[in-house]
Amino acid sequence: MLEDQHMSVQEAAEVVQDARARASRELVISTPLVYLAWGLVWLLGYGAMWLSVRGQHPYTGPSGPAVAAVLVLAALAITAVLVIASKAAAGIGGRSARNRRILVLTWATGYLALLIAAPAISSSVSTRTLAFLSFAGPVLLAGLVYILASALGRYRSAFVLGAWLVIVGASCAWQAPAAILGICALAGGGAFLLMAAIESRLRAHDR
Amino acid sequence: MTADDELDPVIHAPARLRVVVTLATLRDADNLSFTRLQELLGLTPGNLITHLRKLEDAGYVTTVKSGRGVNARTSVSLSQQGRKALDAYTAVLRQLLDSASANGTTPH
Repeated sequence: MLEDQHMSVQEAAEVVQDARARASRELVISTPLVYLAWGLVWLLGYGAMWLSVRGQHPYTGPSGPAVAAVLVLAALAITAVLVIASKAAAGIGGRSARNRRILVLTWATGYLALLIAAPAISSSVSTRTLAFLSFAGPVLLAGLVYILASALGRYRSAFVLGAWLVIVGASCAWQAPAAILGICALAGGGAFLLMAAIESRLRAHDR
Repeated sequence: MTADDELDPVIHAPARLRVVVTLATLRDADNLSFTRLQELLGLTPGNLITHLRKLEDAGYVTTVKSGRGVNARTSVSLSQQGRKALDAYTAVLRQLLDSASANGTTPH
């Protein structure tokens, strides 16, 4: 392109529109895709565990295949989210990069703490308490991380989603283990899928 | 008066307009590496440097070099002045397009 090529007003408007659309597509993390990945994992993962415990009397916990399915789904979702985020964030430095590191570290530290705490207290607490910590704990943590994300100014929908997940997680305290899994699958995974649809519509509207 | 008289001449060039619009997509206090900007715009390094120099001279962008050797990185960011200049530019652009469509003419 010539350095100072003449441009009409119409051409300038088209350049602005094209450059804005391309930059938004390339430099902004696709929150609908991220929400969709988490939503599917929660719906299918918690759903599989829920189905595996529904007929249990007494409750003995999710079946081995259901837990294995959750681990595979979680690994796929984490990989997908990391690919989506690192592709969009490549080359971007400054405050957003620092905030992203804070969020990833908060999330990773929280999940690590839950992974360590749940087996450690398993022999000294009731089945119901252990189910609450193991299944509703990640939902509460995710809710708090999304609220933190909204405070750091990352996503417009993050506060609503975060607050909802905290409510869902806390409401599990009154539920039996099987019901906790059902609530996390439907109200947790469903919320992510709903937010994916809403964000997708908002993005299309912004274009 | 023509569009060229009313629109900021520093921004009113295709490549520089794309540079400024692309950088404006970033949040305040964020920057973009020279390499990623070049990749997004499809410009040669020499061409991009020339346009960045003009924008930097006008106070619209800031470039910062950091690291050494293989870790060397040049970061580019839009200044507050640059963001205001782009807002003013797009406002004038809209006015020109609106008045042209009201008069039924093609804006130049």
